[in-house]
Amino acid sequence: MPAEPAFPLTARAPGEVLFRRGAEPVTTARFLAEAAGLAARLPAEGPVLNVCADRYLALLGFAAALMRGQVTLLSADRTPQRLAEIAARHGARCALSDTPASLPLPVIAPAAEAGPEAPNPAIPAARIAAIGFTSGSTGEPQPHAKPWGALVAGARAAAARFAVAPGTSIVGTIPAQHMYGFETTLMLPLHGGGAGHAGPVFYPSDIEAALAAVPAPRLLVTTPLQMRALLGTGIALPPLIGVISATAPLDAALAAEAEAAWGAPVREIYGATEAGSIASRHTTREEGWEPYPGVAFTIGEEGASVTVPGLPAPVPLADRLEWCGQGRFRLAGRLTDMVKLAGKRASIAGLTRILTAIEGVEDGVFLAPPDLDRNPRARLAAAVVAPGMDAKAVLAALRERVEPAFLPRPVVMLDALPRDAVGKISRAAIAALAWKR
Amino acid sequence: MTTTLSLEQEVARLIVEALHLETAPEDIDPEAPLFGDGLGLDSIDALEIALAVSKRYGFQLRSDDERNHRIFASLRALAAHIETHRTA
Repeated sequence: MPAEPAFPLTARAPGEVLFRRGAEPVTTARFLAEAAGLAARLPAEGPVLNVCADRYLALLGFAAALMRGQVTLLSADRTPQRLAEIAARHGARCALSDTPASLPLPVIAPAAEAGPEAPNPAIPAARIAAIGFTSGSTGEPQPHAKPWGALVAGARAAAARFAVAPGTSIVGTIPAQHMYGFETTLMLPLHGGGAGHAGPVFYPSDIEAALAAVPAPRLLVTTPLQMRALLGTGIALPPLIGVISATAPLDAALAAEAEAAWGAPVREIYGATEAGSIASRHTTREEGWEPYPGVAFTIGEEGASVTVPGLPAPVPLADRLEWCGQGRFRLAGRLTDMVKLAGKRASIAGLTRILTAIEGVEDGVFLAPPDLDRNPRARLAAAVVAPGMDAKAVLAALRERVEPAFLPRPVVMLDALPRDAVGKISRAAIAALAWKR
Repeated sequence: MTTTLSLEQEVARLIVEALHLETAPEDIDPEAPLFGDGLGLDSIDALEIALAVSKRYGFQLRSDDERNHRIFASLRALAAHIETHRTA
């Protein structure tokens, strides 16, 4: 019988620096020993809900679960209700958290404790290593299972695409539980190259301090919003070898400003929680996206899908794609009613359903602004018919049910929704009311 | 006490302007959380506030172990933090 395909937990040599906690380097050998120590503290069965803010502890938790053959649940949405919902639905046996967490399941605080030398286990490629989540049209979290083989293939492809040398310091600003953050700051050190940085890194001053604490060459993995904030505050950064941006469209002018200020190429990743990172481009030079090695796009009338190494089936994409020569594609708008804000997606129809289900709301609709695909600060709007309620009351009700990023700004209260001659809601008329300023 | 109150009002105005909120500055409850159940702000807003604060008050907000939760616990907490760290 042929052996089941498998990949080791990490492809890095025992003495290589895999991560840095502040300025303190952690070698692969030490990481394996600490992961084995944490694995011994996990319950007999998974899954494990990993909410660690410290990137190294998040990695230890993921590795410990893998060593025990347990699945890690990764939720970019950290609201307690959502975490509790995910834990209940997937039967999580414990949560790993490095901050106080009120969750309806046993919470283990991970610790990086030096233990005896531990082996680098082989993990079957087909085994589900992690499950990421997106919001579906119903507003409920949709699970996306990640086989170990797909995660490894993605990390190898990213390392090749961005030529990440083993000694590269990787400073990331996206939570480890976001699929982009998970791939670029946890999987990349495990199977690509470079040394991760534990964080926390969020504000411009954090980014500067984190970069200053690690040796060159330095790779910054971030978002358009954080690039904008960095440039806006005018903080000087240590020399960079490159910048990677994702989660929202990067404006070419912002990319050019960043390249001029930091003297390093800014490259963008295109991806989705379901598929992972699947293409990239050098924003100031190329409009077209170059598929990752091994990733195949199919673009048809009905939309586009992508075949990703390690994933069992093609993944449909929420964007409209067009070929633009040399095997590259351009993004030509959203195909569905899915909108993306703060790196998270939601369905306009789903949000509208939540809005109109609020007691006291007679009619209502969510609306995306025309610049949503270009402006990372864009917000949704809502037009609401609710006699007896004001905008504040509508917002308060939505706040219990909707992630903050998708709360409407503004809320336009109306006596009736404007409709055209055939009774269809006139989105143009609502847009004119919502974005008149 | 008077200075604290006026800084609080000033910061409330800064938040409303930076984030294009519908809320009037004086309607922000100084004790209510800025995130979650209170004003319902998110990480995009946190970065906007950090940018506005650095421009107006000449210092940088930083993450600590509790992330932004302590400083952003309320308008009052944020104003107090600015009072301590401002250079402009």
